[in-house]
Amino acid sequence: MEVKEIKSPLTGDSYYKIKHKSGLNIYVYEKEGYNSTYAIFGTKFGSINNCFSVDGGEKIKVPDGIAHYLEHKLFESEDGDAFAKYALTGANANAYTSFDKTCYLFSASQKFKESLEILIDFVQSPYFTDETVAKEQGIIGQEIKMYDDSPEWRVLFNLLECLYHNHPVKIDIAGTVETIAEITPKKLYDCYNTFYNLNNMALCVCGKAKLNEVLEVADRLLKPSKDVEITNYFEDEPREIVANFKEQNLPVAVPLFEIGFKGDGTKLITSKQEAATDVLLGMLFSQSGELYRELQDKELINQSFGYEVFEGMGFYSVLLSGESHNPERVYEIIKNYINKVRDEGLSVDDYQENKRAVYGSAIRAMNSTDSIANNLMECHFTGREFFNYADEVYNLKFEDVQSRFNEILDCSNSALSVIR
Amino acid sequence: MDSIKRENIGKSIVFNTISDKRFKTMKLSVSFILPLKSSTVAKFALLPGLLTRTSQDYPDFTQFSKKLSMLYGANLTGNVRKMGDNQVITLSISGIDDRYAFEGDKISESMSKLLCDVIFRPKLNGNSFCDEEISQEKRQLKDLIDSEFNEKRIYANNRFTEIMCKNEPFGISRLGTKDNVDKVTGEELYDAWKIMLSESNVEIFFIGESSSDSAKNIFTYRFSAHNRTPYKIENTVVPYNGELKEETEVMELAQSKMIMGFRTDIAVPSVDVMAMRVAIALLGSTSHSKLFNNVREKLSLCYYCAARYNRIKGIVTIESGVERENIEKARDAILNEINEMINGNITDFEVEATKLSMCNDFIAVCDYDSGLENWYLSQIMDGDFNSVEEVCQAVNAVTKQQIIKVIKTLVFDTIYVLESK
Repeated sequence: MEVKEIKSPLTGDSYYKIKHKSGLNIYVYEKEGYNSTYAIFGTKFGSINNCFSVDGGEKIKVPDGIAHYLEHKLFESEDGDAFAKYALTGANANAYTSFDKTCYLFSASQKFKESLEILIDFVQSPYFTDETVAKEQGIIGQEIKMYDDSPEWRVLFNLLECLYHNHPVKIDIAGTVETIAEITPKKLYDCYNTFYNLNNMALCVCGKAKLNEVLEVADRLLKPSKDVEITNYFEDEPREIVANFKEQNLPVAVPLFEIGFKGDGTKLITSKQEAATDVLLGMLFSQSGELYRELQDKELINQSFGYEVFEGMGFYSVLLSGESHNPERVYEIIKNYINKVRDEGLSVDDYQENKRAVYGSAIRAMNSTDSIANNLMECHFTGREFFNYADEVYNLKFEDVQSRFNEILDCSNSALSVIR
Repeated sequence: MDSIKRENIGKSIVFNTISDKRFKTMKLSVSFILPLKSSTVAKFALLPGLLTRTSQDYPDFTQFSKKLSMLYGANLTGNVRKMGDNQVITLSISGIDDRYAFEGDKISESMSKLLCDVIFRPKLNGNSFCDEEISQEKRQLKDLIDSEFNEKRIYANNRFTEIMCKNEPFGISRLGTKDNVDKVTGEELYDAWKIMLSESNVEIFFIGESSSDSAKNIFTYRFSAHNRTPYKIENTVVPYNGELKEETEVMELAQSKMIMGFRTDIAVPSVDVMAMRVAIALLGSTSHSKLFNNVREKLSLCYYCAARYNRIKGIVTIESGVERENIEKARDAILNEINEMINGNITDFEVEATKLSMCNDFIAVCDYDSGLENWYLSQIMDGDFNSVEEVCQAVNAVTKQQIIKVIKTLVFDTIYVLESK
């Protein structure tokens, strides 16, 4: 077992990174003075991993929404429900499934070790029967319907359908009422036995808990996993978009829009590229910029306007979203502005301001235990080191941002989705 | 645990200092507590957005935003919320601590001064705000009102409160209505701003490692220029009027939303409030509560079915998202869980688990700067000022008999259903 201490010279913080003998990757970020601990146990298995093989074996295709379904069902073990066990420690437990991972978490301000025991135990104890699987159809069916009524959720998925031909990122994380009806205990076990291998997982702990407490529980409860080779199959995804516009009607009083610029998703970006992108997006789209001012003065956007990088295995896009009474006009103005800045060049003053703002938010991200633990998980699965981001922002040069601008935000490969 | 220092710096103005080395940030917030009235609600709702757009020193929105970026992306926000029958305007700034700034930059004082300026030295045009800012802010507030219709869980909650609390200040939306917003004039906004400074109860919070002295001095000095006549914070607890209010609205949706409202005479400052908090958490605020275990897990009727207790108003709400044909079934199942409690069907395990869970969450939120601020702000409405440890002690002192006693006081008052077509 190897324990490495990773330090941040900028803030003086540090965390431990452990490759546990069981195969699990463990991160422990101790926070002096904190009274609670946030722990998250995750696997690199999300909604996009719907076709895979193990050790070069047979290709397995599973129904849409199965990763999320498995998340719900894992809470039940043969000896009872995990929530009932957490009831004895008081920990606040939850779980989530995203496009590329499934995570189980808790926040505890007392009985940390007991809570960690529950987490490690139930995630390693699958129990799927016809009866328990059937019971979940109603609950998840209602969760799907709740999202069907959510304009914010729909505007995103409609956009992803415009951007992606084949990549499963365009499929709703929870699947549909029809696809979840195909889920069986056998299919859940196929997924579990593939992706819930400890080598494919990470445990991230941040807060009051100490390294030795985490390791003591880990040593006792982790069942060693033999490392396997997982191959995920994705159909080839063309660089071009599918369509540049999609509209859906829902009962809304102010229309919503989401604009996507499809980029190169063939490999994950580095911390340096991430830093350069965030500063660039701030320069172009933040409140202190010329574009924001123009859109606001023309009464086209409001405070809900925002932007983000949308990235994972096989996909990369820059997304801008908000509410507007004229989304088509917003889209035109944004494209014209990007082209104008390409012609005229980026401003050094804008760069200085936005570098400071992005640096500030990188420091702020080291305040809260949940944000840190989730970031550690994200970094583990994307092969980045958590502290590198703030360092890269600090050391960034104007030229780095200029060269990043040449790689992303291609207006001819973008789309608009509208809910009105 | 954190230590809080409360100092009076003027009539009903309290400066709270929470010295905390744990955070890499400093946060300064000013909350103005005002009575919630339909005649003033839209004016006060416009102020936070209006005040955080510009100031006398930075009269241009873009220049002002650039200043914030240079302060390492300091986050200046203004919001308005409802606490009981009161409207609370909060203006706050947060940013990184001086320790992390480039080349020994000192930014905490600049942040304090900036927040003070937006509150006391806004960009004015005589005895009015400026037309350009007013029209932007009116448009944005009306969009915000519309966006609450977009999210059906929020919309259903808003409609429910309007119906249940039709004749109380609590039934008024914290944002006002679009019509009200349209009618507000620049002069009225100026007057509202003056009222905010002179008639509100003010709670200022400073959370961080650096000294709060300079912030405290600026605020003391600024407030001293205003002749303060603060109003007395009041909340009404309204009894059931003898008639169950039922309302159904039909809309093109995939899922129906149902909200049930109950009244109780147990509200702040009653000694039974803590027992009611435990009772409602046990009923439906945790993932091992009666509603979660039975209505969601056993009957598979809902993805969410949660109970909340407003201790200022003596109102309990239970909200859920259900299939249209299951509305009746869910309603019966929820009422059944309340009856189970009335009949004493509560296990020691449920009581202990609920207490553990409540205390766990109270302690955990105080590991966040905004959590600490909200913790103490909510205590002010309780008319009592307790630390997390003290509140946890009170939680642990609640008995099963008290839970049964308080749950019996619930009276079913209102049911609102937003039904899918």
